[in-house]
Amino acid sequence: MKIINRTKGIVAIGLVFMVLACDSYLDVNENPNNPQDAPISGLMINSTYESALNVYRIGDIVSNYVQYLASPNPASASDTMEPVSNNNTWFSLYNVMTDLTVLIDKAEEQGAGHYQGAAEVLMALNLGMTVDIFGDIPFSESFNFETVTPKYDADQELYGVVMNYLDIGISHLNGETTATMGSDDFIYQGDVAKWLAFANMLKARYMIHLKNTGSYSSEEVLASVDNGFQSGDDNAGVNFFEQSINPWAEVARDNADLLLGGWISEQFIQALDGTSYNTVDPRLPLMVGATDDGQYIGTENGAGRGDAPEQGARSTLIEGQYYTSVTSPILIATYSEQKFIEAEAAFATDKSRSYQAYLDGIVAHMNMLGVPQTDIDTYLAGPDVSMGESAFTLNDIFKEKWVALFLHPESWNDARRFDYQYENFTLPANLNPDLSGQFIRRLPYPDSETSRNGNNVPEVTLLDRIFWDTE
Amino acid sequence: MKNITIILFLLLGCSSVLGQTITGNVADASGQPLPGVSIIVSGTTRGTTTDFDGNYSITAETGDTLEFTYLGMEPKEIIVGLNSVIDVSMEEDSEQLDEVIVTAFGISQEKKALGYAAQSIDADAISQTKQTNLVNALQGQVAGVQITNSGGAPGQSARIIIRGINSLDPAADNQPLFVIDGVPIDNSTVESPNTPRGLSNRAADINPADVESMSVLKGAAATALYGVRAANGAVIITTKKGQKGQVRINLNTSVGFEELNRLPELQTQYGQGFSGEYDPTSFWPSWGAPISEVAQTVPGHKYQDNWNRAFNTGVQSDHSISISGGGENATFYGSFGRFDQKGIIPFSDWARTSAKLSGTVKVSEKFDFSGSINYTNSGGNRVPHDRFMERMMYWAETQDVRDYINPDGTMKTYGNTNPIYDARFSTYEDNVNRVIGNLNFNYSPTDWLMLSYRIGTDFYSDMRSEITPGPKGIDGENSLSSTGFIEETRINSKDITSNLYVTLKKQWNDDWNTSLRLGNDIFQRKFDRVTATGEDFVIPEFYNLNNTRQIFASQNKSIRRLVGFYGDLMVNYKDFLYLNLTGRNDISSTLPKDNNSFFYPSVNLGYVFSESFELPQWFTFGKLRGSWAQVGKDTNPHILGATFVSPSVFPLDGQVGFSRNSTFGDPSLKPELTTSIEFGAQLSFFQSRLDIDVTYYKSNAEDQIIPVPISDGTGFSEYITNAGEIENSGVELVLGVDIIKTDNFQWTTTANLSKNDNEIKAIREGIEEIVVGSQFGYAGSTVTMKLIEGEAYGNLYGTSYQRFGADEDALFLQRGLPVIIGDDGFPERNANQLILGNAVPKWIGGVRNQLTYKNFELNFLIDFRADVEQYNQYDNFLSAFGKNEYTLARNDLRIFDGVLEDGSANTQEVWLGQGVGPDGRDYGAGFWRNDYRGITENFVQDASFVKLRNISLTYTLGNKILDRIPFSSLRVSLAANNIILYSPWDGFDPESFSAGAGGNAIGFTGLGFPGTQSYFLTFNFGL
Repeated sequence: MKIINRTKGIVAIGLVFMVLACDSYLDVNENPNNPQDAPISGLMINSTYESALNVYRIGDIVSNYVQYLASPNPASASDTMEPVSNNNTWFSLYNVMTDLTVLIDKAEEQGAGHYQGAAEVLMALNLGMTVDIFGDIPFSESFNFETVTPKYDADQELYGVVMNYLDIGISHLNGETTATMGSDDFIYQGDVAKWLAFANMLKARYMIHLKNTGSYSSEEVLASVDNGFQSGDDNAGVNFFEQSINPWAEVARDNADLLLGGWISEQFIQALDGTSYNTVDPRLPLMVGATDDGQYIGTENGAGRGDAPEQGARSTLIEGQYYTSVTSPILIATYSEQKFIEAEAAFATDKSRSYQAYLDGIVAHMNMLGVPQTDIDTYLAGPDVSMGESAFTLNDIFKEKWVALFLHPESWNDARRFDYQYENFTLPANLNPDLSGQFIRRLPYPDSETSRNGNNVPEVTLLDRIFWDTE
Repeated sequence: MKNITIILFLLLGCSSVLGQTITGNVADASGQPLPGVSIIVSGTTRGTTTDFDGNYSITAETGDTLEFTYLGMEPKEIIVGLNSVIDVSMEEDSEQLDEVIVTAFGISQEKKALGYAAQSIDADAISQTKQTNLVNALQGQVAGVQITNSGGAPGQSARIIIRGINSLDPAADNQPLFVIDGVPIDNSTVESPNTPRGLSNRAADINPADVESMSVLKGAAATALYGVRAANGAVIITTKKGQKGQVRINLNTSVGFEELNRLPELQTQYGQGFSGEYDPTSFWPSWGAPISEVAQTVPGHKYQDNWNRAFNTGVQSDHSISISGGGENATFYGSFGRFDQKGIIPFSDWARTSAKLSGTVKVSEKFDFSGSINYTNSGGNRVPHDRFMERMMYWAETQDVRDYINPDGTMKTYGNTNPIYDARFSTYEDNVNRVIGNLNFNYSPTDWLMLSYRIGTDFYSDMRSEITPGPKGIDGENSLSSTGFIEETRINSKDITSNLYVTLKKQWNDDWNTSLRLGNDIFQRKFDRVTATGEDFVIPEFYNLNNTRQIFASQNKSIRRLVGFYGDLMVNYKDFLYLNLTGRNDISSTLPKDNNSFFYPSVNLGYVFSESFELPQWFTFGKLRGSWAQVGKDTNPHILGATFVSPSVFPLDGQVGFSRNSTFGDPSLKPELTTSIEFGAQLSFFQSRLDIDVTYYKSNAEDQIIPVPISDGTGFSEYITNAGEIENSGVELVLGVDIIKTDNFQWTTTANLSKNDNEIKAIREGIEEIVVGSQFGYAGSTVTMKLIEGEAYGNLYGTSYQRFGADEDALFLQRGLPVIIGDDGFPERNANQLILGNAVPKWIGGVRNQLTYKNFELNFLIDFRADVEQYNQYDNFLSAFGKNEYTLARNDLRIFDGVLEDGSANTQEVWLGQGVGPDGRDYGAGFWRNDYRGITENFVQDASFVKLRNISLTYTLGNKILDRIPFSSLRVSLAANNIILYSPWDGFDPESFSAGAGGNAIGFTGLGFPGTQSYFLTFNFGL
C-alpha cells in the first residue's frame, strides 16, 4: 500500500508538473515580429510621412478633375469623372488617423504636450481632407473598436471637430512638454513655432471653405493668417528620400519607362502658354516637360492621346523638376496658398490688402520654383496679372491659386467653391453620362466601405455636394 | 485499490493452462513480420493474435490444427507437431492486396475494420506516374482528392485538396497534413514575394523511389488522431524498409524529355505596328500590316514562329540506388537519389539529391527500436515565368526572339524587353538543405501491453538569392533595371514532433476483441525568415550586398506549439462489427489562454454483413460503414490583439516609423470546429473480380477563424475572429474490375469518381463578402474571386455584356438573354460585377488500367475534371495585342448579334478594325481593344479537361535470361505523360495557374508556367 501511495504521489506531482510545464511551454504566442507598443517618436515619424503621402494621394485622385493632368488613354475613368473606388486612399487616411489617435492618447499620458499638439494638428489635416472629398464619414465611433460598423457623422459637424483639434493643438503646442520633437518630425524637425504657424494656416484654410455658409467670418480668417506662415520658409511639407523617392518623381519615372501617367492637361498648358491668358507664364517650363520638339502640348481630358505616340509628343511630368525630383517635398501647406487665402478673405473688406496678398502669393510661388527675378518682374508687369486693384476680381485669385497649388488636393476644394469657372475650363470628353453635363462634386464611397459597412454608408451621387459647396 | 488489482488479474489471466505453449513468428513472404494475424486452434474457442513484431504464443496440443488468417493473405493451416516453436510464412492473396491500409500513426489496419473511407496507392502506382513530386503521383488515383499541378516549371509546386475547401480565410492552407513514417512533415510552398517563380512545395524534397505506399485519410474520422493539423485530411507516407534475408540492391535510372503540351490558337498573318501600319520599332507586336505584304519590301521579314521556338526541349534524368537487407534481429535500408531537370523555359532548372538510411533493431522479444534519417538538397534557378510569358506577349512576331544578346552581353532588342534575356539574367536560385528523421521505440512487457515512443524532426534551411542586374555601363544598352538589385533570403524551419502512447490489447473471448490506445503528442514549429535587399550596384555585374548603394532588411519569425492527449478504442465483435471511438484534447499556443484547450470526439462503425448473413456465392464481401467526427482547429501563431508594425519603407534618414497594425486578432478567439458525417459501403463480387466502394460525406466547418474585412473607420481593416460556416458534401465512388484474368493476360481497371458541393452557409452579420483574390484584365476586365453567403467557394466576378431583360438583382450573369447593342453598333458593357463562373471543379475522377501479358505490362491513367471555369488572362492579353486567331477578324464588317435598348434586333453594320473604316467612320483602336478585351465574360472559360496523364509500357526480363546475367531482376519501361489533353479551353494547359500551391486563388490561370508533356525511358536493375 505504501508503494501504491507513493506511486500515487509521484503521479500526482508528475501531473502537476506537466500541467505547469504545459502552461509555460505553450506561452510563446507574443508576437516576435511586431511590438505590442510603439514609442510616440516612431508614431510621429510615420504620421508626418504618411500625412504628406495622403496629400499626394488625394492630389493624384483630383488632379484630373482640376485638369492639371489628363489620362493618355481615352475615356479614362479619372478623366471622365466616373465613380472610382478609392479603397487605398480611404484606408491610408484612416490608418493615419488611427495612429494619431494612439499618439494623442500616449502623448497625453506621458505629458508630451508638443507631440500631442502636433498630432492634433495632423488629425485636423487628415480629417479635414477626408471630409472635403467624402463628406459624411465615420469618426465619432471610430478608433475605439466598440463596433465593427461605425456610423457616419455629418460633414458639417466634423468641421467643428477639425477646428477643435486645431485649437487644442495650438494650446498644447503653446504649453509644457516632457518630450521634445526633433528629427522624428519629418515636417518641421521639431520647430514648434512653425507648427503653431501651420496650425493657424490650416485654420485659415478650413475657414475659407466656409465662405458661402452661415458660419464664416473674414476677420477670423485674417486673424489666423496673421498668426500663420510668415514666409516660404514656414511651408509645411516632407522632403523625400533616395530610398523612397517623391511619388510624383515616380510617376514621371514610370512614364519614361512607358508605364504611362502624369500627362499634362491641355487646360493647364493653355492657361500658362499664353493661349487662355495673354501673359506667358515663366513657370511652365519649370513645372512640366516639353515635347521632343521643345513644345508644350497638353492632352485633352477624356479624349486620350489620339494618334500621339507614348513618348515625346505631349507634355508630361518629367523627373528632376521642382515637383518631380527624387527628394522634392510633398507640400502640405504653403505660404503662397496662405497669401491667396488672405486675398480671398480680405477681398470684400480690404481690397488693397487683398490685391497685395494676391501679388505676394504669385511671387511666393515663383520664388519657391526658383523663377529668375527678371522673369518674375516681366510676368507681374503683364496686364493680365497686374490688372490693378479696381479691375482685380476673385477670378484672378482663383486662377493664380490654381497655378500655385499645382498637383495639390486643395485645388479641387477651390474648383468646387469656384464652380469650376476657370477661363476656358471645359468638361472632359466622354463625360460620365450620369453627371448630366456637370462637373463632379464629390467622390463616391469606396467599395471596401460599402461591402464592409454597407448599412451605414449614405446613398450618394457624384453630384451631391459637401456642405460648404453651396449652389 | 483491491478492485484495480482484480481488474489487472482479469486482464492478464485469460488463457487457460492446458497443453503446451506454442510460440512463433508470423511473417510475409519477404520476411516482414505481420502484426495482428489471428490464430485459432481449430475446433476450439482458443485464439490469439500476433503482436507488433509478428510474435504469438498459444496453448495447443500435438495434433491440433492452428489456423492462421490475415486479411490480404492466403489463410494457412498448420498441424502442431513436437516442435513448440512454429514460425509461419504467409503468402499474399493477390485478390486482396489493397485491403491493408496504413492509418494514423503509421498503424497498418485491415481496411475491413475501418468505419470510414480510406484509399492508398502502392510503390508501383507511384513510380509509374514518373512524377518527381509525390503530390503529383496521387493525381487521378484517389477519389475525392484534387491535385492541381501549378505549372510546368522544374520542381514546381502541386496543390492537393481533399473533399473541397474548408476555410473562408483567403490565406488559409486548405491542404492536408503530410506524414512520413508516423512523423508529420512540412509541405508548405513559399512563393517568391516579387514576380511568381514557380517554387516547390516541400513534399517535393522526398524521393518517390523511397516510398512504399501512400494512404489518403479523407474525413475527420480518419484524422482525429492527428488533431488540428490534419483537419484537412492527411496523406500517410510509408517508406521502404529493409527485409530479412539476402541483401538487395536496386538501381533505377531514367531519362526524360519534355516539351510544351499546348498552345493557344494564334494568328500568323499580321505583324508589328498599329492601325494596320508596319513599324519595326513599335511597342505593338501584332496590330501592324500583313506580314506577307511587308515581306515584299523588307527582306527577311517573316513570321518567326517564336511561340514554338522560345521554348526548349526540357531534359530530365533520375537515378537512384538502394541497398536493403537484414538478419534475424535487424534490418536496414539505404538509398541515394539524384534528379536533374532542365525546363522548357530556357535557363529554368531544378535538382534534388537525396540520401536515406533507415533500420530496425529487435533488441529482445520485448523491446525493439527503429529509426530513419533522410537528407535532401534541392533547388534550382526559378525563371520569372510570369514575366517571361508577358514579354512573349509584347514581343513582335516578326522579330526573332532567340536572337536576344549582343556580343558585349547587352540585350539585343528592337525596343521591348526580350523574354529569354530576362529569363537568363534575372535569376532566382533556391538551395534547400533538409533533414527529416525519426526514432521509434516499442516496449512490450507483456503481450497485451505496449509502450511506444516516437520522436521526429524536420529541419530545413532554404537559401535564396535573387539577382536582377543593373546597367553594364555600355552606351545605348537596354538594361533590365535602371539600378539592379540583389535579394538574399534565408529561411529556417524546424519541426519537432514527439509522440508517446500506450497500447492495451485484449481478446475477451471468441467474440470480443478490443484495443485501446492512449497517448500524448507534442508538436513545435520554429520558423525564421530574414531578407536583405540591396539596390543599385556600384560595380556592374558584381553581385553582393556589399556592392549596393541601399540595403533593406526584414525579419519574420514565429513559433507554434501544440500539446495533445488522445485516446482510441477499437472494439471488434466476431470480426464483422467494428466500433472505433476516439477522443482528443489539444492545447495550442496560438489561441488565447482561456480558450486554448479543446476536446473533440469521433465514432465510427463498420459492419461486415457478408460475415453475418448467408449471401449468394457471387457476393464475396459486403460492408456498411458510418462515422461521425469532430475536429478542432487552432490558428496561426502571433495574431492575437493589436500590434504595431514598422512599415517596410523605414528606416528613412535613420528614422524608423511605427504604425498600428491594421489587423486585430480577437483576444477571445476560440478554436474552429468541423463536424463531419460519412456513410459508405464496400462491396465485392465474383471473388473480388468486381469491387465497389461508395461514400457520402458532409462536413461543416463552423466558428471559422477568418480575417473579417471591417470598415477602415474602426481603426483596423481586418478583424480575425470566429465567424462564418462552410459546408462541403459529396459522393465518392471507387470501382475496381479485373476485366480479364488468365494465366498469361490480365487486365485490371481501377476507377474513381467524385462530386463535391460547397456552400458558404454564413459569413458574419453586416459583412457581405470576402475577397479571395483578383487578377488583372485590360480595360476593366479584372476578375475577382469573392465569397458570399449562400453561394459556393470559387465564384469569379467580372464585367459582362449587357443583357436585354436581365434581372437587376441577379447575382449571376444571365447568359441566355440577348446582348444589348449600343447606338454605336457595338455590344454594351455591363460594369457591374456579376458571377461569371466558378473555379472549383465539381466533378473529378480518374481511371487507371493495368494490362499484363507475359512479361509485358501496359499501364495508363486517365483523369478528368469537369464543371469548372477559370479566368483566361492569357486570352485577355492576346486579344489586347492582336495575337490570337480570332483577332484575324480585324478588318471584317459585322452586324453584332443582339438587340437594341428597345428590344428590336440590331441591324447596324460596323467595322472591327483600327482607325478609319471603309465607311469613313473612325473606329479608334478597334473592336478588340475598345470593346472585347474589357469584358471579363469573354475570358471566364470552361476549364474542364480529360488527360491521358500517364502511359507506360514495361518489359520484365524472364528468369531464363536472368540466370545468365548478374542481375536478379531487370525491367525496361517507356512512358509518356500528358500526351493527350482534351479541353474546350483555348490556351496553354488549363491546369497551370498563377498563385502556386500555397494560394487559394485557383481560378486565375494568368501567365503561369505552361504545362508540358514528357517522355521517359527507364531501366531498373535488381542485384
